[in-house]
Amino acid sequence: METELRIGVFVCHCGINIAGVLNIEDLCRYADTLPNVAMVQANVFTCAQKGTSEIEKVVKEQGLNRVVVAACTPRTHEPIFRACCQEAGINPYFFEMVNIREHCSWVHRHNKVYAQAKARDLIRMAVARASFLEPIGTFSSRVEPKAMVIGAGVAGMTCALAIADQGFEVILLEKEVRMGGLLRHLHKIAPCDVTASKLIGEKVAAAEKDDRVKCFTSARVEEVTGCIGNYVVKFSSGQESYTDKVGVIVVATGGVPLEPVDLFNYDGKRVITQSQLEARLKKGDIEAKSVVMIQCVGARIPERNYCSRICCMVAIKNSLHMKKAVKDAKVFVLFRDIQAYGVENEALFLKAREEGVRFIRYRLDNPPVVEDGRVRIYHPGMGKEVSLPADLVVLSTPIVASSDSEDLSKVLKVPVDENKFFLEAHPKLSPLDFATSGIYLCGNARFPATVREATYQALGAASRASIILSHDTIERVGTVAAVEAELCSGCFVCVKVCPYKVPRMNENGKAEIEPMQCQGCGICVAECPAEAIRFRYASDEQITAACNALHAPQEIRSEN
Amino acid sequence: MEEILTMVEEFDRILVLGCGGCTTVCCAGGAREVETLATLIRMDRKQKGKPVETLEAVTELQCEPESVKPILEKLANQYDVVLSMACGAGVQTVAQLFPNHNALPALNTLFTGRAEEHGVWTENCLACGDCVLWRTGGICPVTRCAKSLMNGACGGASEGKCEVSKDRPCAWQEIYHALKRLDKLHYLKQEPQVKDWPVHPGKVVREDLREGEATRVD
Amino acid sequence: MSSFEPLIAVFSCHYCSYAAADLAGSSRIQYPPNIRIIKVPCTGRVSANHILKALERGADGVYVAGCLEGTCHFISGNYKAQKRVQYVKALLSEINIEPERVEMHFMSAAQGSKFAAVAAEMTDVIKELGPSPLNHSRY
Repeated sequence: METELRIGVFVCHCGINIAGVLNIEDLCRYADTLPNVAMVQANVFTCAQKGTSEIEKVVKEQGLNRVVVAACTPRTHEPIFRACCQEAGINPYFFEMVNIREHCSWVHRHNKVYAQAKARDLIRMAVARASFLEPIGTFSSRVEPKAMVIGAGVAGMTCALAIADQGFEVILLEKEVRMGGLLRHLHKIAPCDVTASKLIGEKVAAAEKDDRVKCFTSARVEEVTGCIGNYVVKFSSGQESYTDKVGVIVVATGGVPLEPVDLFNYDGKRVITQSQLEARLKKGDIEAKSVVMIQCVGARIPERNYCSRICCMVAIKNSLHMKKAVKDAKVFVLFRDIQAYGVENEALFLKAREEGVRFIRYRLDNPPVVEDGRVRIYHPGMGKEVSLPADLVVLSTPIVASSDSEDLSKVLKVPVDENKFFLEAHPKLSPLDFATSGIYLCGNARFPATVREATYQALGAASRASIILSHDTIERVGTVAAVEAELCSGCFVCVKVCPYKVPRMNENGKAEIEPMQCQGCGICVAECPAEAIRFRYASDEQITAACNALHAPQEIRSEN
Repeated sequence: MEEILTMVEEFDRILVLGCGGCTTVCCAGGAREVETLATLIRMDRKQKGKPVETLEAVTELQCEPESVKPILEKLANQYDVVLSMACGAGVQTVAQLFPNHNALPALNTLFTGRAEEHGVWTENCLACGDCVLWRTGGICPVTRCAKSLMNGACGGASEGKCEVSKDRPCAWQEIYHALKRLDKLHYLKQEPQVKDWPVHPGKVVREDLREGEATRVD
Repeated sequence: MSSFEPLIAVFSCHYCSYAAADLAGSSRIQYPPNIRIIKVPCTGRVSANHILKALERGADGVYVAGCLEGTCHFISGNYKAQKRVQYVKALLSEINIEPERVEMHFMSAAQGSKFAAVAAEMTDVIKELGPSPLNHSRY
């Protein structure tokens, strides 16, 4: 026997945010006429302590079994009300939220009549949907207390060491023959003039010494299956193949400086890149009396539209090193905009100017021209073209994503952006997480970063990863898809369409979805030709109910 | 679609009946397609001012009377016509079981094929009744050669593509390569094969599976 | 028909367009009050049948608003949705309903103004088309 539906609707004034535009009393009266609604209540601030305790009280007193809150956005407030439902003794997923603030009162302020009608519609749709809500529980699985870090540059090694410091085992993979990444080729690191080889040498030594860190070079990730807490990873190192289990994965695959082929007469001898300049500075093999640096080479152009962020500081740093290395050297930096963010960088920029480094701005539509031994540039201050002496031309090129980032993204089933950098779940709210739980990212793999930033990110990612590793089990909410075996026709459609390759055919010829691995997108649910996959969090019944309620039955839109 | 709408024009209560077998698997007549078709019919009729009632159901296997019977009996008197989303066999099962019902086909059964990828199907078998795959390297000349030639390429293919359609590989070229790979090229040199196009028997009987007493064989 | 105010259903992805709508709200960007959002975890969850049902049950137009190309939270859900929208358009043509009533839009969570612009654009398009042939009785 099914229990009778008793929906409680709570309409929020949100001070004047909602009540200033919408007639709350009218909404309450209207909600009361809707099917299965047992009671309606208005609150001034539903999310405040008074509001939530009121919901708990009313749910208990009136024996409500579904709660609808018409207030602001579920993206910020849903967790509060779900918790409130749980406190009141009903499943937290017996809750539906209607956004009558962001989606109504705030955006239709000058159209109160229609806003009111819309709010009624939205409440009606939510109540209809609420009638089909299903309880959702949680389930847990064991966590493998081990991490895999892909990439042994400064970010990867910092991250691996930080995870190891917390007492967890780490598999550290490096695709090159040696660990160290880009820093192996650099000279000094701005703004504190740390010697790159020393910094990275210490990290490599620490990683090699630490028993908890298992380093593999010439390594490649072949296959990754499983999910947070329990990834099964297959990788190779040289000729050897390995299979292991890890709880979390960190992507720290770095980037590479763009090679400016066919740009500004680049030849690697007299027209070189900043990294080549650093190699020469490192060797002390430099004599040029007059150096012209060109910024934004191959960056901030239509086909590569981003600013690589670090090249300005690299140029400023190297111009100062040039000044030091060659007495009376002339250094010109031709730039479009200078990116010298932060107090220390700004100070370094100032110092470069004080020491006589000349900065000349150019525009994309009038770029400098590199000729034999000279660079021609329009000087905006002088209002005419000037020709600068150039024993050496140094091109500042952006960091681009490493060539295999796209392949790795497919193995890990995580996204990359249009420039093939790995894409975090949210740039502000979860900058070091992928949308797929249990996989994290840091360093240049994500976006060009300074050594310092890469280090921060690596420590951050290590901390995110350790949160998972430090628990014996991991709990997940069951907002996942599930196959109803008796309806399954065994057609393999779900197996083929799942972006995470989770569904598989079992020995009975029926599809099966491992709940721990399911990410809850609902793609298979919408694709299954037999409609045999259920998704309690957003079921066909719920969506159809909302569609059915789009238009009120027999309601005369008197406002028209 | 137009044809279906014409077919059901005279009816006001339609049972859209899917099949949980082959037509579900090939995304043509499972629960999802049943829902789509029923919705489209309702929308069309609402638009024309002649609203219609639809019922939606899916039989496990519509070519199997045991699967069709209970569903139709349960829904008896609730519909005027069955619009079947099964293959021709399913439609006829319904028509035979319930001779007084109108059973209409919603699908054109095109071919027996293979799922190339999700959303792509290719024709691979014509149910010709005389399988030659054993000597054609597993490639069916009847369906995959545009001309159904039985004894080699026609000569019209270029760069491995059929002269009938450039995106269709020449089946005989594929057969040649397959036999070469299997080291069975000598099959091609055998006497010209005359295809025995059997008259379709219309019925297959396996006595061993049937109910009842065995007939004595002396 | 000057008083025709269309009813438009929007299938909105939790990760992008729903957030974009929130942002439009917190930025107080005003747009026509004709849309009704139905939130989904990913536009890949939206099936052809959902779109058809929305039209059948009174919407004059429907659009699906998913993440920008290449940035779907679930890798490819937005492309799936786009294909299904195209499929629905073809189905609608078959029953003589304007396929323009159904559309796919892409936006990021940060594009509050785009959300508002799309809502306005769809409202204009549907106003131009007039009430859905299924809804004549209403107006």
